[in-house]
Amino acid sequence: MPIDEIQRPARRAFLRGASSAVVAVPALFGATAAPTAAHAQGAAATAAKDPSHPFAYLSLGPQEAACIEALVNVMCPADSLTPSGVDCGLHIFIDRQLAGAWGRGDRLYRQGPWHAGKPQQGYQSPLTPEQHFKSGVAKLRQETQERTGKAVEQLEPGQLDALLQDVAAGRMDDPRFSLAAWFNDAFYPLFVQACFADPAYGGNRDKVFWRAVGYPGLPALHGRNVVQFRGRPVPAAANPRSIEDLS
Amino acid sequence: MVQILRRRSVVFVGGGLTAALAARQMMSSGIDVLVLERGGDLAGSAAATLPNQRDELRWGVRNGLVQNWANETYTLRHTAREEALPIRRMEAFLPGEGMGGAANHWNGQTWRWAEYDPVLRTRLESRYGKSAIPREMTVQDWGIGYAEMEPYHDLFERLFGIAGQAGNIDGRLVEGGNPFEAPRKKDFPQQPLEILESGAIFKAAAQSLGYKPFPLPAANSPRAYTNPDGVSLGPCQYCGHCERFICEANAKASPMVVLYPMLQKHRNFEVRLHSQVTEVIYDKHAKRVTGVRFIDLQTAQEYEQPADIVVLSGFTMTNTKLLLVSGIGRPYDPKTGKGVVGKNFCYQVMSSVPVFFRDRWINPFMASGASQMVVDEFNGDNFDHAGLGFFGGGYIYSNVTNGRPISSRLLPAGTPRWGSAWKQANADWYAHAFNVAVHGSNYPHRENYLDLDPGYQDAYGLPLLRMTFNFHDNDYRMSEYVTNKAAGIARAMGATTVGTPQPRRGDFDARQYQTTHTTGGTIMGADPATSVVSPRLQHWDAQNLFVVGASVYPHNAGYNPTGPLAALALRLGDDLVRYAKQPRML
Repeated sequence: MPIDEIQRPARRAFLRGASSAVVAVPALFGATAAPTAAHAQGAAATAAKDPSHPFAYLSLGPQEAACIEALVNVMCPADSLTPSGVDCGLHIFIDRQLAGAWGRGDRLYRQGPWHAGKPQQGYQSPLTPEQHFKSGVAKLRQETQERTGKAVEQLEPGQLDALLQDVAAGRMDDPRFSLAAWFNDAFYPLFVQACFADPAYGGNRDKVFWRAVGYPGLPALHGRNVVQFRGRPVPAAANPRSIEDLS
Repeated sequence: MVQILRRRSVVFVGGGLTAALAARQMMSSGIDVLVLERGGDLAGSAAATLPNQRDELRWGVRNGLVQNWANETYTLRHTAREEALPIRRMEAFLPGEGMGGAANHWNGQTWRWAEYDPVLRTRLESRYGKSAIPREMTVQDWGIGYAEMEPYHDLFERLFGIAGQAGNIDGRLVEGGNPFEAPRKKDFPQQPLEILESGAIFKAAAQSLGYKPFPLPAANSPRAYTNPDGVSLGPCQYCGHCERFICEANAKASPMVVLYPMLQKHRNFEVRLHSQVTEVIYDKHAKRVTGVRFIDLQTAQEYEQPADIVVLSGFTMTNTKLLLVSGIGRPYDPKTGKGVVGKNFCYQVMSSVPVFFRDRWINPFMASGASQMVVDEFNGDNFDHAGLGFFGGGYIYSNVTNGRPISSRLLPAGTPRWGSAWKQANADWYAHAFNVAVHGSNYPHRENYLDLDPGYQDAYGLPLLRMTFNFHDNDYRMSEYVTNKAAGIARAMGATTVGTPQPRRGDFDARQYQTTHTTGGTIMGADPATSVVSPRLQHWDAQNLFVVGASVYPHNAGYNPTGPLAALALRLGDDLVRYAKQPRML
């Protein structure tokens, strides 16, 4: 079967949900996006339509991607401070981290034997961070389906937000897998990094988060500013610059 | 096949701050010096140049300059009754890799410790009585006095261009400085850094309570500075990328800026990079070491390097591990209190109180690693501990070192963790908040120690070092008390909101960074039964083996460790010249 005929159930379900116009539609799909078969090719294909931000997933599969896009859009809704999570590239950051050295376990001691350990002993899974991350995504999707009868990305923003509160508080843990530990120790740090890391990593697109909080970024030569703007707003904070801007 | 190299006079294991300082003292003697360093030379790399130096994710979050935990980490258990597990990604402290070591990525906070620190047990016993010191608190004197370190402190401050305000010159207190400062012969070579808005707020609040705030002594050069060796530092740019980063402006005095380039001009000095030392070769009967074994990480060739003198100049953990794997000295046994290697392992007890100001601009991104205001009233034994139920303390300070946005955003309690309200709170408070922090001591406890893990190994087939470590009642009480004092200062600031004080509670957590100040394991002292090295840092069981670094500290004070460590290293350099001329117990 040609690859473009392969059905992608979650994505299609998501798009059907989107057609009801109450789901937070990732802006990636564009305001005029209609839930047609042409869009069922997934985020990679649709994202590529924006020439300023060419993008293909490197780690996440379509169902995982739909879930992560839904999460970052709920955790970073479009508002006066920033566009939606997907429009900030937060999903891209996460995908790139999973596909890259960090996701593969770079600089992580990975010799056995393996034991669960105490929280203070830190990460003890024999899975790579990428595998561990995905096992949490799968668990979240499964639990969500069982509790709500819907896929994560089919939930309305308010519903998904409430569900994530439950996840973070441990109310969806089971003895075998703590979704709270996954969310708080694996997903949440990546989400925050996606917001505030240099845009070179794919998130914080156009330095929106730096601008929102007033972080001036580079080159950070504040030798004069530290006197001139002591106790006052720093003009450079209104127009932050990134690694790319100085490259 | 192990290849045997030609004999060298002095071989340093670990190319960080201490090796370079000791070597500096030896250069005019013509003694041949070889430094073996496991990492490379980071000068001119992405870590040390704009724009990538400013990459918070790479250096600040993923810790790109730090020891590669895939190759070597430590195992951790909180008590000897538990099973230790490897810390697979260490966050609690950050040993360095590369020529210059951890002192390349330090913040630059440079203290002389209190005058009584080298004689802490004597001091506490004389002030509170012998029976006041709990049996499990294994504080002991260092076998030296502050006075003999003073000239070396002064030399280090001049070499590194330390900027500060003297508080005690020859016993005469100086207004604006630290009234608890150990007496110094000379003023600092540079005037202090600019006081930040947070420092000004802290200063006013501390003064209103009758404390004596002063600027933290800094290795971040406020102005262009040329040291006695003719090496220049540039002016600090207050860029907020010191700790975990290399200073691209050459303004933060670091071994790779101040020392190694200068040393490498000497014909009798050599650094061999990418050289992982695996053993100190020990002749137990002769009570001497004969050299070291190392792997060239670029070729995988194993070498034996014969040496007249070996100096362990690695990080606290490395020095201890090498003695243990080489079978030199008696390992410490917490059950009997006998043995010495691995004893008195200490860390740090940090805590904080966040303060939020709706109408004041803190601008945390304009800061150096050491441009803070401090009070020292509640550090060490600077205050009366009678009836308090603990010993030790910490300095309290306006802790703004950076505004790197992934890690350095303070939010009021109760802020949602995501969503529009979370974003709005970040926008509201990012530039308007800071922590009043406590840099607290960690006195030794007989159950805290280092030994070799019986199961886990590093990439070279050696056992991992095992930390049996936790905080104890003394630490929790100290933190409660001093954090309360910090909260008092915080409440005197006129802040919009003073956050809940967060004294140190709970078990030691490998996931939480406090400081890179681990100490002990190869402690110094006057008695071979209770110390690993002599007061002159000479190993009691091998007179041609020396150990230098914070691993020789018998306790960890509420001060950053770099000052005394540097002074001891400079003094060691002079001692090595004497020893090379006439080998003996010094």
